[in-house]
Formats: sequence, structure tokens, C-alpha cells
Amino acid sequence: MSKIPFRNPGWAGNVGEYKLTEEQVRGIDFVGVRPLEGGHAAAASTYPFMLEAKDPGAPLFEGPYQTRFEKILTRYPTKQAALLPALNLAQEVRGYISPETMDRVAQLLELSSAYVRGVATFYTMYNKRPVGRHLVQVCTNISCNLCGAQDVLEAFLKHTNTEMGETSLDRAFTVIEAECLAGCGFPTCVQINSRYYENVTVAEVPRIVAHLRGNGDGFVPPDNRDDATHTKFAVAPPSTRTESEE
Amino acid sequence: MGYPYSHEKEVPIISEHFGDPEARTLEGWKARGGYEALKKALDMSPEDVVEIVKASGLRGRGGAGFPTGLKWSFMPKDKAKPHYLLCNADESEPGTFKDREVLRWVPHLLIEGCVIAAYAMGAEHVYIYCRGEFFEATQVLAKAVEDAYADGILGDDVLGSGQKIDVTVFAGAGAYICGEETGLMSSLEGRRGEPRVKPPFPAAVGAFGMPTTINNVETLAAIPPIVRNGGEWYRQWGTEESPGTKLFCVSGHVNRPGNYELPLGFPLKDLIYEVCCGMVEDRPLKAVIPGGSSVALLSAEEAENCSLSYEGVIEAGSMLGCASVIVMDETTDIVHQVARMASFYAHESCGQCTPCREGTAWVTTILKRIEDGRGTEDDLDTLVEVTDQMIGTTICVLSDSVAPPVQSSIEKFRDEYLALIRRGERVGAA
Repeated sequence: MSKIPFRNPGWAGNVGEYKLTEEQVRGIDFVGVRPLEGGHAAAASTYPFMLEAKDPGAPLFEGPYQTRFEKILTRYPTKQAALLPALNLAQEVRGYISPETMDRVAQLLELSSAYVRGVATFYTMYNKRPVGRHLVQVCTNISCNLCGAQDVLEAFLKHTNTEMGETSLDRAFTVIEAECLAGCGFPTCVQINSRYYENVTVAEVPRIVAHLRGNGDGFVPPDNRDDATHTKFAVAPPSTRTESEE
Repeated sequence: MGYPYSHEKEVPIISEHFGDPEARTLEGWKARGGYEALKKALDMSPEDVVEIVKASGLRGRGGAGFPTGLKWSFMPKDKAKPHYLLCNADESEPGTFKDREVLRWVPHLLIEGCVIAAYAMGAEHVYIYCRGEFFEATQVLAKAVEDAYADGILGDDVLGSGQKIDVTVFAGAGAYICGEETGLMSSLEGRRGEPRVKPPFPAAVGAFGMPTTINNVETLAAIPPIVRNGGEWYRQWGTEESPGTKLFCVSGHVNRPGNYELPLGFPLKDLIYEVCCGMVEDRPLKAVIPGGSSVALLSAEEAENCSLSYEGVIEAGSMLGCASVIVMDETTDIVHQVARMASFYAHESCGQCTPCREGTAWVTTILKRIEDGRGTEDDLDTLVEVTDQMIGTTICVLSDSVAPPVQSSIEKFRDEYLALIRRGERVGAA
């Protein structure tokens, strides 16, 4: 871990004319630290489930995870409806959804293993096999593609020394192509584990990779990205715009 | 105000507090007039709330543009069965990025809209289906929901009214098709996100077999201001057929991409050249997709006089969809971009219906072949023929969505296809 908090120039989109910090845009302080056992049951199935730390042998579910699982069950009229939340939770704990994991979830929800397999394989976010500590998903759909996403994808493959969809030898990276991540105004949008990196350009890729490897240069860019060198495209000066309130 | 840029021509109703971290908190939201609309709604009869929404003329912001008040009125009045409201936050149409901004900047606006809507249609439980990738935005919403519960806004006795309304935040797991309303219901029930045949319509047999209404995030976020100010107030913007304001998501080759909230009927030309500060490096415009990847491309000439209302974009030869404006300049390789969109549909097809499962795959294969310089002129006819057979032949409209970009690009940019086919010449650097 680098000592200075890493800030990818595209950490949270182009903040444009707003004076905002990364924490403010991402809502980090607002969300705060969420208890493992889940807060209110209404929000118990909203925890990120693509994490760096993975324990493929962890039990399903125990301790705080068991508590959270029980909270989830209270929110739906059927047990089956808890299937996606349960798979999310299983991936959060184990890092991927193996056939054994599917069987265990099936058991917990009184469903057949075949049924759970059918559902789990339908959704792309469930890793059906182990992935690296950092799962890098580069959007190459139209809006990002227009702004150079293909080159960003290739840069990630090059700098992580992996092939598409494969995991690097040190198990640090898996790089895949993603469909539209709904960050089209901030191209190229890259999802790495549970967070978005936005406005990523080819030049920034080595820094992001170094940061993820834990030997980043601690580079901290300016808070406001009005500097044309940061964006792929220069930002035109405001023409008819009035001064916005601070 | 839009995010990350604003413009003086904007009418910020939903986006008023975008970029303002204070607005996320419950206190901050209340200080900005939050939950006043809910109090007002709870003092009215549910029917009157529906009437206000009908009077506003608000149309569904998820793409189809169906009148919201009318949709709500389809819900049975009889309370023998539980009623559900589903909020569709599974934003994944390429080019669309408005719902995430609502979730992360004004979560309480969405919660307030959900509770008012639930009250209006007698729903006791609201499920907000967030797309799985939105981990951060979903957690902001989750925290806001927890705060709303702690404050008595949600739960067994909403603001002391005796009304019981619960909200549950659900996280999806990556499937475009779950943004289709019946696909979303399937997914919420713990199934593969496969759409269902309509009828029965969700208002009769929806989630868990119960009466259900599904509304987009932006639709529900527009409800509190409408209830607070009245239906007529909302009609001061927009056109007769498309009243109100809309978040326009602009991406591609413009200097200032982002979300802008503008009155419907705003000229596309002004959106690009004024609001978004023009094309990158002033390069000429080549094509615009006005409503996300499922609609027809507009040529630069067609874009010139296009008015961004539901009816205006149809007149120009495309559809407004969810107002996801993708701008392409002259360096764009149209064939490559269309092939990329087709492969998206092939990836996201749920596979239930043969015309879609086979059609998306073949269209992608043929387009890739053309892109690789191995195409023939007959391929263009084949593409039109295949996509024709994908319209109206399947359960949902994912299949239908492939035809407009493919057919319109062949019609309007035939030269580019022919150049690739005849001489292997490619436009742009892609």
C-alpha cells in the first residue's frame, strides 16, 4: 500500500466545474464503515462483492455473514428471491462461485443445485472460476470506444502482462472487456473490483497498475481537472455560462 | 445543475443538487425542502396523487415514454393481494449514465419519489433494483435508506400517517436484460433474468405473481417536485406531448460530455454546440445516436433540425429512448461501432427466443466479417433481411433493438460499408 492515498486522475469522473474531493464524489465519508453483519435489513444485500481479499474455503455462512444472510431472508416473500443476494454474499466471502458454492447456496435456500447453476451462470458478475486479486473490467462499448477504450484495454493487458480473461502468474490481475458500465460521460470507464476508475487514458494505465501492485508513486493530481492535459480532449472555455455558486 | 458541467439553459429540477455532497444527508435533504412533498401527498388521497401525476403529463423516463400516471392507474384498487413497486435502477443501455448520478447525489429524492408512488398505488413494498456494478452508488442509496428508516420515513408508520411502506435495495449481478421490466421481475424473484410474455401485464400479475408497477429512477425522482408544485407547473416546460424536463446524457466526441437537465423539445444542435461546447477540436459532426444504442443513427443533416422531444426525434427518424445522446465526429468508423453494438446485443441476449439468440449472433458475425474486409455486397442485404426478421418476433424488444442501428447505418452510411467491402478502406483510426 502506498502511503499517500492514490488518486487516479480519473478517480471519480471529470468533476468539471465543481470543487469536489474524491471522498465527496464517491460518498465515502457519507457511507462510512458498514458493519459486516449488515445494518438495516433493507440494505443488507448492497455490500460490494468484488473484493481483493478472497477465501475460497470460507464457510457459507458464519458469524456476521450468517446474521446478514438472515436479514436478507426477511425482505422477500419467497426464499428463492434471496438467491441473487445469497450468491452476492457468497462471492463476497469466497471470491468466486464454484459448483460447490452453488450447491451450498441451493441447500440453504431449499432449491435444486441445477436450478442455482442455471441462475448463477446467467449473470456475468459471478466469477465462475477464481480471478486475480484485482479484476479489471474495461468498458469497450460505444461511448468509451469512441474515446479510445480499445487502447486502454490493450494497455491494461500489456502492463499487467496478461491475456484477455486470463489471470496473471502472480495472481494479481485478471483483465476482461466489459459491456457498458453506465459511465459514458467519463470515458474510458474501468471497473476494478468494486470501484470505478473514470476518464482513464492510456497514459494513466501504468500508474493505476503500479498503485494496485502496491508500489505506486503516490501521485496525487489536482482536485479539479480543468487542465487540458488530463483529458483526452481539451475542455472548451465556458461560453455563455454564468458563474456558478460556490 | 448538470454534472460535471452546468449550463444556463438548464432547468434543474431533478439535478438541482447534483454535485452537492450535503444533499445526500437526511438533514441536508430536509434543509433543501426534502420530504415536504411526501407530507403533502400523505395528506391527500392516493387517487388525487395519481391525478397530479396524470396532469403533469410525465412520461416514463426508462425509454418507452409511457405516461406514468396512466401506468399507476392500472394497479387494482382492491388490496386483497400485496402490491409492489419496483424501481428500475439497472441502468445499462449503452450511452446512458443518468441514474447513477441520481443514486449518488440525491438518494433521498429517489426514496421520496418511491414512497409517494407506493402510497399512490397502494404498494406496501418497494424494491429498488440497482445494477450490480454500481457498488458505490448503491451504498450511498443504502445508507440513505437506513437513515430514512431511523427517521420514521420508512417502515410501519410512514411519518405518523399509519401507512406502511418498506423499501428494499436489491443489487443485480450484471445482465442488461434485467433492465427490461419483466426481466427485472424474474431476476428479483431469484430466476434467470428472462423476460416474460405480456399479457398478463405486471399491473395484474407481476413480481411474485402480485400486482406490480415498474418505474425508472428518473421517473420516480421527478415525482416529488411535481407533487410539491402541481401538474400544471411541470407543463410549463417541454412540449404538449412531452411535458417537463429530462436528463440528457451526452457522450462521445463533444468537449463537455455529461448530464444536462433540459426541457424536452430542446434542439439537438444547441445541445451539442452550445451546452456541450461543441465538437472536439471542432471536427465536423458525422452522426448522432439520440437515445442509446437501440435507436437509429441520425446523419449530421438529420441532426441539424432535430428537436429532442419524444415526437420530435421520431419525426427526425429515430427515437428519444432515454435521451442518451452519443455524438460521433468524422473520424468515427461507423462499421466498427455498429459491429461493437451488435456484439453487445449478442452477449446480452438471454437466449429464450430463437430470432434474437440466432439473429444477434449472425448479425455480429456478418458485421465482423465486413469489418475484416471479407464481406460482400450481398451481406448488406442479408443484414437487413435478418434484422427485419428480428422485429416483433420475440418476447421482449432486445431483438427489435438491433435493427435500428444496423439498418439505419446501412442506409445512411452505405458508402462506408461498400468501401470496406470493395477496397478494404476504413474510416478513422479504429
